[in-house]
Amino acid sequence: MGDAPLLRVDDLQLHYQTRQGVVHAVDGIDFELKRNEALVVLGESGCGKSSLAKALMRVLPRNVHHQGGRVHLGDTELTALSDERFRREVQWSRMALVMQASMNALNPVVKVGEQVAEPLRVLRRWPRRQALARAAEVFALVGISTDFMTRYPFELSGGMRQRAVLAMALVAEPELVILDEPTSALDVLTQASIMNALKRVKRELGTSFILITHDVATSSELADRVALMYAGQLVEVSDAERFFSDPAHPYSQMLMASVPKLRQRSRPQAIPGQPPSLFEPPAGCRFAARCPHRFAACSRDPRAIRLAERHRVRCWLHDDTQAGGGA
Amino acid sequence: MNDSPMAPPPRRGLLRDLRHMLLFAGKRLVALLLTVLVGVYLTIVIANMGGQVDELRLVQIRSQAAEAVRADPAFQDLSSEERNELISRQVSLEVERLRLDQPFVVRSVDYLQRAMRLDLGRAEQMHSDRGSREVYDIIVERLPATLLLFGSANLLVFFVSVFAALFLSRRYGSTLDRSVIALAPTSAAPGWFYGIFLILLFAFVVPVLPAGGMVTAPPPEGRWDYAASVLRHMLLPLVAMFLSSIFISIYSWRTFFLIHSSEDYVEMARAKGLPSNLIERRYILRPTLSPIITSFLLMLIGLWSGAIILEQVFNWPGLGSLLFQAIGHRDTPVIIGGVVIFAYLLAVTVFLLDILYALLDPRVRIEGGRR
Repeated sequence: MGDAPLLRVDDLQLHYQTRQGVVHAVDGIDFELKRNEALVVLGESGCGKSSLAKALMRVLPRNVHHQGGRVHLGDTELTALSDERFRREVQWSRMALVMQASMNALNPVVKVGEQVAEPLRVLRRWPRRQALARAAEVFALVGISTDFMTRYPFELSGGMRQRAVLAMALVAEPELVILDEPTSALDVLTQASIMNALKRVKRELGTSFILITHDVATSSELADRVALMYAGQLVEVSDAERFFSDPAHPYSQMLMASVPKLRQRSRPQAIPGQPPSLFEPPAGCRFAARCPHRFAACSRDPRAIRLAERHRVRCWLHDDTQAGGGA
Repeated sequence: MNDSPMAPPPRRGLLRDLRHMLLFAGKRLVALLLTVLVGVYLTIVIANMGGQVDELRLVQIRSQAAEAVRADPAFQDLSSEERNELISRQVSLEVERLRLDQPFVVRSVDYLQRAMRLDLGRAEQMHSDRGSREVYDIIVERLPATLLLFGSANLLVFFVSVFAALFLSRRYGSTLDRSVIALAPTSAAPGWFYGIFLILLFAFVVPVLPAGGMVTAPPPEGRWDYAASVLRHMLLPLVAMFLSSIFISIYSWRTFFLIHSSEDYVEMARAKGLPSNLIERRYILRPTLSPIITSFLLMLIGLWSGAIILEQVFNWPGLGSLLFQAIGHRDTPVIIGGVVIFAYLLAVTVFLLDILYALLDPRVRIEGGRR
């Protein structure tokens, strides 16, 4: 188990300046990811999932107020690189991003094949023929006919566009691909076939994935590890098996109970209350206001508590020094 | 399915595109011709006030004939009955010549046919500076003056504002950006308003430039002297037009580029690590080329009509004041002639635009042909 992680994120922060105040979208996130591992980042809308992806990939909007923390990819400290070096050495060649709303992520006036080949031609200065040949390989890998390479994006269905964007992400063989809600706009069958394509890519190329989603059911397909995000922080990070069968954080437990199951008597349980505002996050545990197990210690910020090898949870219930209900 | 690693042969796509293009162009051509037909016919009906102008002309013909008979000494000793008969005979001759005896509906169609063939006929009262009464000559004589002034002003405004806007959209929120936005309301005043002040300042307070006209009174002999004189005369109206539209133009283009630089595919291009000049060219300018060219060509169409008040203020012999005078004189052939030429130019421009759109935007080319 001694192999070094592919990605190490320490205390990552990203705050936005808005008219109403400062939004703490990503507020102190730590996690590790091994090679050929898939991490699913789960969370409700507005918890900062997409901001996490943007911060990692350095695709930032204009109103960034504060950025902090460290990110290591392999031996490279990404946060120490200048924008120009990051662009030339890391972006797309080592780390690629499939953005949310990738329905519209393709340039409407450029042929799909050219767009998929573009990173190779621009970043690696490959000749056109070679880049297109490589693009055709990735097209086959993600399951689109190469006939579509000479089509324009509007001639492709939603699922095919999603695959084309995925092909674009894989074309330079990056070590890590970040997928932000890759299937949320698609029907279940297309979702399933894209998840299968991802599994195949992971098996054949050994790529690592960070899959950001709110869809617990679909993500369980691919997940090796799960990180649950709440109000800009990770509340639990664990192995997927463990997370789906025996979640430790009260929010994880309630989230799992809220997932509808096919043809079962049990009704999905909604979590009462609202997530806290990210403008002025509450001191102490951010989930405390909605938590049924709330006790005195919750007014202080829970540190990340190690339950087992590679299993951390941000909850005082699991801290032995606190005389709580204990798990 | 995945056996061919290379893209399918490009010729198939090219042929497909060509066929779509031809079909598309044909359809557009027919539609535009119909549009011109309807537009010109409407103008004929309106400029003749639905036939009302005929009655005015009838009265005019009658009084002219009466005047002519009365003034002619040869007819002095005719009796009043004989004279009246003579007058009515001359009136009916003139009516026949102008075919005023036929219903207006019939003549309007006849008029339409000639107008569509660009046979614009003769003016009723106006004439060109060289003395020709052909509507065509009258209009063509004014065209160069209008094109020169409005062409240079609008081209200047267009290119300066597009490039300034691209520059500002990269520096969104900077002091320069804010000050340009703050200056945008200056475009609320029209060009002639600035013109009046400019004339006051540079022709009277500091008399360095001429107050109006297009050349000095006896036109200079040499070609270069002539050009220099025209240049001096067009400087003030040019600056007036530039001032009145440059800031709002920069402002709107800047907003346009800002909107299009937050498209998902532009974000994606940034995530892809493409250099920013490539993103600007291929992901911002290229997809938005159609609207940019549209506004460029529409601006060119705008040239053809001139500007009435600005031309009056600067005493500029352009098309705007010509049409204005023609409307004042109820000179229907000149009004209709102007509109016919304008309609054709508009149709040609729109047709060019359609073709350019199709070349630039695959969505128009392929879906447009399919429909």
